[in-house]
Amino acid sequence: MTLFSLARKNIQRNLSNYFLYIASMVFSIVIYFTFVTLKYNDDLSALKQSSQQIKGLMSASSVVLLFFIVIFMAYSNSFFMKKRKKEVALYSLLGVRKQKIGLMLFFENLVIGLVSLVFGILLGFFMSQGLLMILVRLMGYEVVGSLTFSMEALINTTGIFTLLFLFTSLQGYRVIYQFKLIDLFHADKQGEQIPRASLVAALLGTVFIAFGYYTAASDMFTSKIWRFFTVLGTPLMVIGVTIAGTYLLFHSVSVFVLTALKKATSWSWKGLNLIGVSQLLYRIRANAKSLSIIAILSATTITAGGGVFGMYYNAEASVRQMLPNTFMWKGETVEFSQKDVLFNEALAVKNLRVDNEFSFFEYTLLKESDYNRLAKLQGKDKELHIADGSTVLLDAAFDERFSHDFTGEDFKLQNGDSFHVEKMYTESVLNFIAAGTVLVVNDQEFKATDGDEIMMQVVGLDNDLKQQDVSKDIYQQLSTEQQESFSSVPQSYEDSLATVGALLFVGSFLGLVFLAATGSIIYFKILTEAEEDQAKYAILNKIGVNSKQILKTVAGQVAVIFSAPLIVGIAHSVFALLAFSQLFNMNITKPVILWMIAYSAIYFIYYIFTVRSFYKIVRQGN
Amino acid sequence: MTPLLKVQNVGKTYGKGANTFTALSNISFEVAKGEFVGVMGPSGAGKSTLLNVLATIDTPTTGEIIIEDTNLARMKDAELADFRRDNLGFIFQDYNLLDSLTVRENIVLPLAIAKMPTKAINARVDRIAELFGISELLNKYPYQISGGQKQRTASSRALVTEPKLIFADEPTGALDSKSATDLLESLSDLNQSQAATIMMVTHDAFAASFCQRILFIQDGQLSKEIQRGTLTRKQFFQEILQVLSSIGGGVNDVI
Repeated sequence: MTLFSLARKNIQRNLSNYFLYIASMVFSIVIYFTFVTLKYNDDLSALKQSSQQIKGLMSASSVVLLFFIVIFMAYSNSFFMKKRKKEVALYSLLGVRKQKIGLMLFFENLVIGLVSLVFGILLGFFMSQGLLMILVRLMGYEVVGSLTFSMEALINTTGIFTLLFLFTSLQGYRVIYQFKLIDLFHADKQGEQIPRASLVAALLGTVFIAFGYYTAASDMFTSKIWRFFTVLGTPLMVIGVTIAGTYLLFHSVSVFVLTALKKATSWSWKGLNLIGVSQLLYRIRANAKSLSIIAILSATTITAGGGVFGMYYNAEASVRQMLPNTFMWKGETVEFSQKDVLFNEALAVKNLRVDNEFSFFEYTLLKESDYNRLAKLQGKDKELHIADGSTVLLDAAFDERFSHDFTGEDFKLQNGDSFHVEKMYTESVLNFIAAGTVLVVNDQEFKATDGDEIMMQVVGLDNDLKQQDVSKDIYQQLSTEQQESFSSVPQSYEDSLATVGALLFVGSFLGLVFLAATGSIIYFKILTEAEEDQAKYAILNKIGVNSKQILKTVAGQVAVIFSAPLIVGIAHSVFALLAFSQLFNMNITKPVILWMIAYSAIYFIYYIFTVRSFYKIVRQGN
Repeated sequence: MTPLLKVQNVGKTYGKGANTFTALSNISFEVAKGEFVGVMGPSGAGKSTLLNVLATIDTPTTGEIIIEDTNLARMKDAELADFRRDNLGFIFQDYNLLDSLTVRENIVLPLAIAKMPTKAINARVDRIAELFGISELLNKYPYQISGGQKQRTASSRALVTEPKLIFADEPTGALDSKSATDLLESLSDLNQSQAATIMMVTHDAFAASFCQRILFIQDGQLSKEIQRGTLTRKQFFQEILQVLSSIGGGVNDVI
C-alpha cells in the first residue's frame, strides 16, 4: 500500500472528522473568492465613477478579510491537528518514522486543499453572481448582472490559498516533530486548578467598562473627558479601556459571579445546576481570552453594521431634510416632461450678504406669501404671519451643537438693517443647495430690503426618487452657471445610495464573515471541551442522570458561553452607536435594533447546532 | 423473606450473526436484603458484564432482573436512569469523581439530582463523610487527595442516597493494601450496622474475604457458590484461595 493511498483511505474513513475541517476551508475560499470576484467585476466598475471609491473600499476590505481568514484557518487547522494527535501517536508507536507520517499528512493536506479549492471556487462563483445582484440593487441601479468568470480572481485566490495550505502543512509538520510519544500515555489533564476570583481585577474591569461607557455616552462637545483626550484620542482611549475591561470581565468578574452562584447552595444544589456552574467555572479562565475576542469582534461587527445600516436607512430622510423640492435651480424655467408634476413655480427671492465677526454668509430672503404658498404645495400645514421688522429663520443644516441659535436676537444685515428673529425652523421650503439659510419676511419688508433679486425655479414631482430621467433632462438644458445651483432629489438620493449602499454591502459582507468565524470558533472550542468532558457525562449517566437532564445542563452551559460575549458585544456597540448617532446627528434606533436582531438570530442558529453536536458527543461516551 | 434482587436466566450476547460472543449465559441467583455478596472469577469470565447488567448500565439479551418488585428488563432508558438515581449506588475502580467539584459537592451531587432540600443534604453529607473518615477533606478538590481518599469519597457518594443496593466494581483495584483494608472495613461496618446490601465484583481474594457469600463465575456461567457462615475472615480467605485454585483462575492475583 502506497503512502498516497493510505492518506486517501484515511480521508475516506474519517470523513465525518474531516468534514468540519473541509467545510471551514471551503467556507474561507468561498468568501475570499466571492470578494475578489466582486472587486475585479467589470459591470461594477462600468457603473459609475463613484465605484472607484468602492474599489478602494473593496481592496482595503479584502486585506481585512484575508487577515481574518488566516486566523480562522490557523484556528481550524490546530483544532483538527489536536483531534488527530492520538492517531499520529499510534503510527509512531507502531514504528512509522516521523518523516513518513509528516509526508502522509502533507499529502492529506494537499488532497484536502485541492478538493476545497475546487469546491470553494465553484460555490464562490455562484455566490458572487448572487451577491453582485444584491450589491447593484442596494446601490440603487437596475440589475445588469451577467455571468462572468473572473480569471484574475481565480489566480488571486488560488495563489493565496496555496500559500496558506503550505503554511498549515508546515504547522502540521511542526506538531509531528514536537510531539513526544510519552504524551500519549499522559492523561489529558492532571486536574486543572479551580480559579479564585481576584476582587481587584473584578473591580478594575467593572470600572474600566463603566468609564468607557460613560465617556462614549457623554456629549462629545461639552464633556471634559472628550476635551482632555481630544476628539481623536478619546475614541482610541475608550476602545482601549473597553477591551481591557472586557478581558478583566471574562477573566475575573465571571469567576466572581460563578463562585457566588456556586456558594448559593439553595440554588446550586438543585438538580444539575452544580454541574453546570462548576463546568463553567472550571473552563472560564482558559476561555477568557477567546470570549473577550469574540465579544470585541461582535461589538465591532454590530457597531459597523449598525452604523452603516443606519446611514442607509437614513439616506432618504437626510436627502429630504436638505431638499424639500424635487428640483430647484436659479434662473429661467425650462421645458421638461409634465408627467407626475405636482407643482412648478417660479419665485423671486433676494440674495443677502451678512457679515459676522468671523466671515460673511450668504442668505436667501423669501417673501412670506411665497413661503405660505410653497409650504402648502409641499404639504406642510404651517402658515406664517410675520410682523414688520421681524423674520423667521429656516435652516435645514441647523445643529444645536454647532450652529448659533438666533431666536430672540437681532439679525443684522450688511446695510445696517436688522430683523428680530421670531422663530427658527429646521424645516425649510427651499432646497439647501443654492438657497442656504432662508430668512422669511413679510411682503412689505421684502420690497423694502436691498438685495440682488433672483428667480428661483422650484419643481415638485410625484414619485420623485425615480425621476432620474427628468433630472438629467433639466440638467442638460441649464447653463453652466445654472448647473451649479441645480439641486435634484433623485440625483442626490442616487449618489448617497451608491456610496452608502456599497458601504452597507461591504459592511454586511464582512459582518457576516466575522459572525460566521466567531460562531465557528465558539463551535470548535465547545466541541473540543465536549470531547474532554465525555467521561464526566458518562459518570453522571451512571449515577442516574437521564438524557433529558443532561441535554438541559448542556444547553444551559452552551447558552452561557454563547450569550455572554454576545450580550457584552451588544452592550459595547450600543454605546459606540450612541456616540456615532450623536456625531452624525441621526436617529438610528430602528435600523440598529433590526440589525442586532438579525445578528442575534444567526448567532442563535450556531447555538442550536453547537448544543446538538455537544449532546451527540456526550451521548457517545455512554 | 422475599429477596431484594432476583436474577433469572440472565444471558448476554455481543455481536450479530456468526460473530456472536456469549459473555453471560443462564445465570440465576438471589440476593437478600442486608447481604454482602462477592462475585469472583478469572478475567474474561463475565464479572463486569454481570455487574453492568445488574446495575442497568447495560441491558441483558435474555432473562429477568427483578429488584424488589421492579423488573428492569422491561424498562426504557430514561426510566432506568431514574431508577438508578433512586435505588442504586455505584463504586468504581477508577473512582469516577468529577474533578471540577469539591469532595463535598461530589457527594452532594446525587442528592441534588434527586432534588433534596439543601438543609437535609448537608446533614446527610456530614454523616456519611464522618462514617468514611473524610470530614476534613470536604472542601478539597479530587486532585488534592490520595487514591484511598478518592475511593472513600466515591463510596460516600454511592451511599449518601441510602440506596437499596450498592454495586462495587473492583473498588480496591487501584488502592494500596492499607487503603484497601480501610475501605473494605468501612463497607463491612456499613453492611452490618445499617444492613446495607452490597454486591462487589473483585478478583482479589483478600477483598472477597470481607463478603458473606461469594459467587464464582467461569466462562459466563455460575460455577460455584460459597458461604462464609461462622468462619473467621482468615479461614474464609483460605477457602476462597482453594476454590480459586480449583477452578483455575485468579491464582496469579493472590497476594
